[in-house]
Amino acid sequence: MISASFRYETPSSAAEAAGLLNAGAQVMGGGTWVVPALNHGVRQPKVIIDLRRAGLGGIERDGDTVRVGATCTYADVLTSSLVATELPLLKTMALGVTGGRQILNQGTIGGSVAAARPSSDAPAVVVALGGRVVVLGPDGGRIVDADTFFVGPERTVLGSNEIVVALEFSSARGLHVGYSKLKHGASSWPIVTAAAVLRDADAAGGPAVAVTLGGIAGAPLSVDLGDCLVDGQVEENRARTAIAEQVDLIEAPWSDVIASAEYRRAVAPVVGVRAVRMAAGSTAGDPA
Amino acid sequence: MNPGSDELVITLNGARRDATVDRRKLLVEALREDFETTGPKVGCATGDCGACTVLMDGEIRKSCLELAVAANGSVITTLEGISDGQLTPLQEAFWDEYAFQCGFCLSGMLFSAQDLIDRVPNPTDLEIRSAISGNLCRCTGYDTIVNAIRRAAPGSSATTRHRPSIEESEDGKSASPSS
Repeated sequence: MISASFRYETPSSAAEAAGLLNAGAQVMGGGTWVVPALNHGVRQPKVIIDLRRAGLGGIERDGDTVRVGATCTYADVLTSSLVATELPLLKTMALGVTGGRQILNQGTIGGSVAAARPSSDAPAVVVALGGRVVVLGPDGGRIVDADTFFVGPERTVLGSNEIVVALEFSSARGLHVGYSKLKHGASSWPIVTAAAVLRDADAAGGPAVAVTLGGIAGAPLSVDLGDCLVDGQVEENRARTAIAEQVDLIEAPWSDVIASAEYRRAVAPVVGVRAVRMAAGSTAGDPA
Repeated sequence: MNPGSDELVITLNGARRDATVDRRKLLVEALREDFETTGPKVGCATGDCGACTVLMDGEIRKSCLELAVAANGSVITTLEGISDGQLTPLQEAFWDEYAFQCGFCLSGMLFSAQDLIDRVPNPTDLEIRSAISGNLCRCTGYDTIVNAIRRAAPGSSATTRHRPSIEESEDGKSASPSS
């Protein structure tokens, strides 16, 4: 049983939720991270704001933008035809989330982004896709690019009076994508994750390739591998070296009980190149 | 009512039930202590082991990751409610394949397995192992569990026991110590 007492609120709208926010509150999405944190006394909020009835589910298209509600579960992502066609990388990520079908039913993408745990799958994938975090606070909303949203382990630019209401993505249709991660076993947290996105030479914007790594620093780390493209093909040795160079520059490498910083640094280039190889070998628009 | 408690009304194993529950309780604790359904077990209380898995509003969930108060109004099935006095075909298959020993993981395993074979009538071994990846067993190991789920799947042709008997040991001789 949780040792500290608390109030429990289930706001029926995002605006109501935002109105309840204060420094002593803990926002809860699916609960897969918050409930154990409460139970272990890691978090002792005065009030819990449970978003499950706030109407923040749903995956919708608005022109070329796909909007994923903050309380969408991984299972919602897996069953969405919109995600399958426009954001296949998100689907691949959801399919590989640790913890079995139960966690797919309970864990939320918005919750994972707000929790910003270094080893979680979602943050690095949201960054890799160039996602945007839609935030609501007492003074209204703002949209934050995912690559500036995460600032460290379990730290984001989210104020104590703000909540994540949705994630927005431009369609990734036509991009080649790959996702790879290393973990000790089926039930363990990932050590390092890598999400690769590759754009063909004849696509709008020209050729591009980048990989975003999770679990290597406090926040997701994106590495531009454009210089590793030779005649439209990724030169893997160059990519491995480029990733290693960027990883070596990290000032505060992530380490925890699952793996040391040295180990993560050693495996990151390998995991990164695997994701790039998957992207290169995939048909544009297909799930990795 | 104590200000730290809530009136919780749920539909549990087909019956409308209510109880006054300490707000600090996890759903698994309320189910076991306030509603006296001890099928769901408290293993890790971190969402790793799956022993607390129940069916909640039509989907399997780990009840240690739910606040009891958040379950108000939900429809929940625990091990006690999966059949009406008879073993289900899945339970029979677990029995026949020796797929449990201490039984602590069994309730959760049954929910994960049933969820799979309801969605995928003839799952591959990879699909079976993926389906139980959120459930830990620390005594039987997983091969017999996989065999049981394969056997119980409605689209499966597996009807015989996969585990060789002692007499069918690898060298064809009896493994009895007296031989």
